[in-house]
Amino acid sequence: MLARIAHDLYWLGRNLARGEHTARMLDGVSQADLQSPIDDDPWAVTLSWDGVLAIMGAPALPGGADREEALRSLTVDAGNPASVRACVVRAREGARVVRDVISAEMWTAVNRLYLEIESGDFAGPFGFLQRVKERTALFWGATEATMLRDEAAAFLQAGRRLEAADMVLRMLRVALPLGREDGASDGQALALLQAVGGFQAFRRAVPAPPNAGPVARFLLFERAYPDSVAASIESARAALAAADHDARVSEPVLRLSRVAADLEFRAWDGEEQDLHEVLALVGRELQSLDRDISSRYFAGALT
Amino acid sequence: MAVAHSRSVTLPATAPYYDELVDHDGTPRPHCAGLVEALHRIGHEGLAAAGRRRDAIFVQQGITYEADEDGQVVKDRPFPLDLVPRVIPAAEWAGIERGLRQRIRALNAFIDDVYHGREIVRAGIVPWTLVVSRSHFARAVHGIRPPGGVYCHVAGCDLVRDADGTWRVLEDNVRTPSGISYVLENRAAMTRLLPQLFAGHRVRPVDHYPQLLLAALRAVAPAAEGEATVVVWTPGSLNPAYFEHAFLARQMGVELVEASDLVVRDDVLYMRTTSGLQRVDAVYRRLDDDFLDPLEFRPDSLLGVPGLVRAYRSGNVAIANAIGTGVADDKAIYHYVPEMIRFYLGEEPELQNVTTYLLSDPEQLEHVLDRLGELVVKPTGESGGKGVFIGPQCAEDELEGLAAVIRRQPERWIAQELVRLSTVPTADADGHLSPRHVDLRPFAVFGETIEIIPGGLTRVAMTPGSMIVNSSRGGGSKDTWVLDEGAAGAPRRQRPAPVEQPSLPDLRYGGWSNQAQQQQQGRQQQQAG
Repeated sequence: MLARIAHDLYWLGRNLARGEHTARMLDGVSQADLQSPIDDDPWAVTLSWDGVLAIMGAPALPGGADREEALRSLTVDAGNPASVRACVVRAREGARVVRDVISAEMWTAVNRLYLEIESGDFAGPFGFLQRVKERTALFWGATEATMLRDEAAAFLQAGRRLEAADMVLRMLRVALPLGREDGASDGQALALLQAVGGFQAFRRAVPAPPNAGPVARFLLFERAYPDSVAASIESARAALAAADHDARVSEPVLRLSRVAADLEFRAWDGEEQDLHEVLALVGRELQSLDRDISSRYFAGALT
Repeated sequence: MAVAHSRSVTLPATAPYYDELVDHDGTPRPHCAGLVEALHRIGHEGLAAAGRRRDAIFVQQGITYEADEDGQVVKDRPFPLDLVPRVIPAAEWAGIERGLRQRIRALNAFIDDVYHGREIVRAGIVPWTLVVSRSHFARAVHGIRPPGGVYCHVAGCDLVRDADGTWRVLEDNVRTPSGISYVLENRAAMTRLLPQLFAGHRVRPVDHYPQLLLAALRAVAPAAEGEATVVVWTPGSLNPAYFEHAFLARQMGVELVEASDLVVRDDVLYMRTTSGLQRVDAVYRRLDDDFLDPLEFRPDSLLGVPGLVRAYRSGNVAIANAIGTGVADDKAIYHYVPEMIRFYLGEEPELQNVTTYLLSDPEQLEHVLDRLGELVVKPTGESGGKGVFIGPQCAEDELEGLAAVIRRQPERWIAQELVRLSTVPTADADGHLSPRHVDLRPFAVFGETIEIIPGGLTRVAMTPGSMIVNSSRGGGSKDTWVLDEGAAGAPRRQRPAPVEQPSLPDLRYGGWSNQAQQQQQGRQQQQAG
C-alpha cells in the first residue's frame, strides 16, 4: 500500500488513542484531586495536575497548575496541540484522507465525535470526557466488526497500540514514586488505575491491595490486560509483523519482539527490580521505534 | 457575603431545629463558609442543571431503586442524591469516631458474652429472659468463637443530631447494614457533577472501603496457606440491595455467589467453578441468619446452604457478620449499650443514646402510655423504619389502637423521646434550597482493628418537615464530607513536589510532509490526495 496512506492510518490510530487516553487520565485525576490523600506518604503515587501537564508535554505553570486551567487546556482548547480536541481534529482530518480505506461506519464514528466536540454540546468536563471515551470505543468496535484485516488495518492497529503503550508509560514515569516501589496503603494508586480504566481488571487479576508497586507492575507487565504496556507492545508487534513484507529482517518488528520478550522475562523474574529503570528503558525503545517505523514504512518521512 | 444576589441561592432560617450549614439567623457556620460561597456562585439554575445531569448519569449507570408511588412499583428511578453536601469538621468527626469505636467494641464483647459466659447477665445488668426472647438470638452458635473474636465485621450505627447539635446514637445495625455503595457512588458523582464545590476544602476520601473490607475478611479467614478465598453472598438478583452486593464484589474483585453456587462437603464450604469445587474461606453474607442453613434455621429456606453452620462451627469458614450478631441489633438491647460500655470496657460512653423506655417495665410502660402522643414507638425486632409510630403525627384513634397493641405484648415495643433531627439545606428540582431533616450512618469495618470510613451515608427526608429518612419511604441521600484537619477554607496542603521529574520525550504529532509550523498549531492538514 502507499506509504503515505500507511502513515496516515498509523497516525489516525495514534491520535484517537491519545485522545482517549488523555480523556481517561483527566477523568481519573479530577476525581482523585478533589479529595485529600489518605495520608501524606512521600512514597505515594502522585498524579497531580502538574504531573498531567508534564505527561502531556506542556510547560509547568508557575505556582502549580490550577485544576480549571489544566482541564480546559487539555480538553477543549483547540490551540493546545496536546488537547483532546486537537487530537480529535487531527484524527478526523486523517480519517477524511483515508475514507476510501476505512469502513463507512468507522468514518461516521470519528466524524460524529468531531462534530459533537465542535458543537460544544456536552454537560461539563465530565460529559465531555465521557463522550470521548464512548465515541472512541464505538470507532474501535466498528473497526473490529467491519474493517478488512489487511495491511491498512495493521498500521491503524500499530499506531493505536504504540500510542497506548506510550501514554501509560508516560503516566507511570510521572506518577510512580521514586526510589521505593512498595508504598504504604495508598489511595492515589487507585486514581492511577482509574486513569487508565483498569480498576476492575486489576481487582479481578491481582489479589494484592492497590498500592503503588502492584499497580505499576500490573500496568507494565500484565499481558492479560489490554492496556498494559506489555499487551500493547505485543499487539503492535503482531500487527506490524503481519503487515511487513519481510518481518524477519524488519527493524521495528525485531525491536518490538525484543521489548516484548524483555517485559515478559521481567514479569516472570521474581527479583526485586528498579521499575523506574524499566520504564526509562522501554521509553527509549519506543522512541527508537518511531524512527524505525518511519524509515522502514513511511519512506523516511520523519514526523 | 452577598446573600441576596439575584442568581444566588437563598438560605432558609431553620429554627427550632439545628441546621448544620447555617446558624439560626442564616449565617453560614464557619466551616461551611467556603461551601456556601461556592453554592452562591453556582446559583439555583446551576444546581437544577446539575440535578438533571445527575439523574441522567444515574439512570445510565443503573444506580437506581424501585420506588413505591401510590401503590405502584416504579422501576429504575435514579437514586436521590441531593447536591448540597453535608460537612463535618475534623474535630467533631474525631469525637464521633472515638465514640463509635468504643460502642462497637462493647457490642462485640456483648455478643461474645451472650454466647459464652453470660457475665453481663450474671452481673444483673441485662436480664437473660430479654436476651433469649430476641428474635435474632441464635442458640445454634452457642460456644462458637470466630477467629479473632470478631463478630460484627461490618457495623453501621445510625446517628442523629438533637436540637442543640449533640450527636446521639439512634440504633445499632450489626447484621447486614447496607448503604455503603451509595456513599462511594455519591462521592464519585459529586466530584463529576459539581467539582467547584470541592475547591478550597480538604475532603477525606471514602473509596478505600472495599480494600478495608477485603483486608478484614482475609484477616479473619481460617485459610491454611496462600491468599484466602473471599466471596460475597447475595440472596439473588431480585433483592433490592443487589446493586450494592454486585458493587462490593466488583470493587473487591471477588466472586458474587448465590446459594446454588455453594456446597458444603465434610464441613468445608466450596463454590462450584468451571474447574470443579473451590474452597471458600470467608463469606461476606448479605442475608439474615434465618436463611443461612435450612438444617439449623428455617427449614423452608431455599436461599440457604445445608451444612453451613456445621462448617462454621468446625472453624473451616469465616462468616461476616458472624451468626447471631442480631442479638445486639435489637431496639430493646440498644437501651443497655451504655451499660455494656461501662461493664466491658470500664469507660464512660462517648456517644449518648436517645432516651429510651423499655415497655416490659410496668412503671416505664405507664409513663409511656400517658405520653404516647409525644413519643416515638418502635417494634424491637424490625429495621428500615417498619412499624414505627411517631406520636405527634398520629391521629387520636390510631394512638388508642397502638396503646391496646402495646398492652398486649409490651416486650415487643420500645418508646423513645422524639429527636428533633438536625437539618441541612437541600435542593429541589428547581435548585431552590430549603432545610430537610437528616441522619447519618457511618460504616465501620472490624478486622484486626476497627476502621471507620470518614463520613458515611447521610439520609435525607425529602418531604418538607418529614423525619422519615429511609430510602424505601422516600428518603434521599447526601454526600458527606469529613474535612481534614486544618481550618475550613484553608488552602490545600501542597503535595510534596516530586524529587525529580523524569524528562519525558516530547509528544509527537505526525505529519506527512514538513509542516512543522502548522503542526505546532495543532492544525495538521493533509495535502488531500
